[in-house]
Amino acid sequence: MVRIKNRYIAVQIVPYAPVNTLRLNDHTLSKCLLQNVEKYYGVYGLGILEHGFRVKYCNERTKIAIIRCLHRGHRYVSSILPLITLIGDVRAKFRTLYVGATIIQCNKFIINHQRQFLDRMMGQVASAKERQDLFKRVMELDMDR
Amino acid sequence: MEQTNGFYDFCIPYNKDDKVLRGLLNELVELGYKTIAIEQSFDHSKKEPGKRGSEMFPEPHNIENIRQEFANKLKILQRITILYVDVNVSHAMGVSLNLRKFNLIAGQPKTEAALTHCCTSFNGDIITFDPTAGSRLLVQRKPYLIAVRRGMYFEIKYSPAIADSNNRKDMIKVAQNYCTKGKSRNIIFSSGALHEFQLRGPYDVANLSYIFGLSENQGKNAIDRFCRQLFLRAESRRLGKTIMFVKGNGPIVFSDSSDENQSDHDVPDEMDALVKETTSEEEPERECSQANKRLKVA
Repeated sequence: MVRIKNRYIAVQIVPYAPVNTLRLNDHTLSKCLLQNVEKYYGVYGLGILEHGFRVKYCNERTKIAIIRCLHRGHRYVSSILPLITLIGDVRAKFRTLYVGATIIQCNKFIINHQRQFLDRMMGQVASAKERQDLFKRVMELDMDR
Repeated sequence: MEQTNGFYDFCIPYNKDDKVLRGLLNELVELGYKTIAIEQSFDHSKKEPGKRGSEMFPEPHNIENIRQEFANKLKILQRITILYVDVNVSHAMGVSLNLRKFNLIAGQPKTEAALTHCCTSFNGDIITFDPTAGSRLLVQRKPYLIAVRRGMYFEIKYSPAIADSNNRKDMIKVAQNYCTKGKSRNIIFSSGALHEFQLRGPYDVANLSYIFGLSENQGKNAIDRFCRQLFLRAESRRLGKTIMFVKGNGPIVFSDSSDENQSDHDVPDEMDALVKETTSEEEPERECSQANKRLKVA
């Protein structure tokens, strides 16, 4: 069976100054990425990439996003991610977490990653209430879109 | 042999401000680096040529307290970058004792002749270039191949490429030159970041290899395996010809029983100290092994 191969890139957005939420949605993120692709690779890169490019998931509180693109063009995206310093109107940098072939694998990895983060942070929080809040904040992951 | 773990970042410029340096190191731990080198640059051409034979190179900065703070998170090495114009530097390097206290030695040539010298006979490990000066210096094919055969590594710093678009163009030009002249062999990536915002994770850096003309494998090796090889080479330069590497785990005990003496004569001369492992607590052990290494190097 022949099928269309995709690549899913899971990224974390690390802002310059720590903030709680980013004002960011799928649309602005994908616009920013495509703009940068055009800046570095020109019209050719955009032509290769634009078909099949989509930001599948973007969580502004955990600051994690999943980008989908065709297998043929995924290196055009992944190679410029380190060079981006401005996302929308926020100074921030990308941190590539994982590149996978299915969204389920990406999902698994993100859950693992967040759990590890949680393990590290839990020790520093004193009260039980705050702990629950933290848990809710970190492990939130709605994939119903 | 000394244990080091990936990933590597061999160029963190030294900062007098403790807070900035600490911030950088914390970010590095967060991103998953395990072995880093703190860089100290030294301009050889500015020194007057009057006095010879005396010590030219500075002492390494004292970073013991930082080392202790990041004891089991990061392995911190020290590196010196020598900027030079003429070949006289090799004599000064031969007689210098301070130079042996650094783990890594990098050369940053300023002229075409110096670059050729750097590739063919420089007694160091890394060849780097000035990102702000543009791409006037491009390496020729022959010196490049010689440098590869000698096991030297070329360094590409990525953080100037992030900060400024002119630097980015030059950096890509230099990197692509390595690709055309010798298939990008012996290339390592390092950050050279002045601020923690300019640091990137190891996989991000490996992805950058696409625009620098390296293959996927080379990009991955440039932050991992090649750096390990480079480190081993640097160690062997520091210690001289070495077959075995004995590292004390406890205090040195010069045993006086006849049995022990007998075996002492059998071992080669290089191992002048018979090191006996004893089970003692964690803290003194580490200190001793440090002191022991010093003793061997000096």
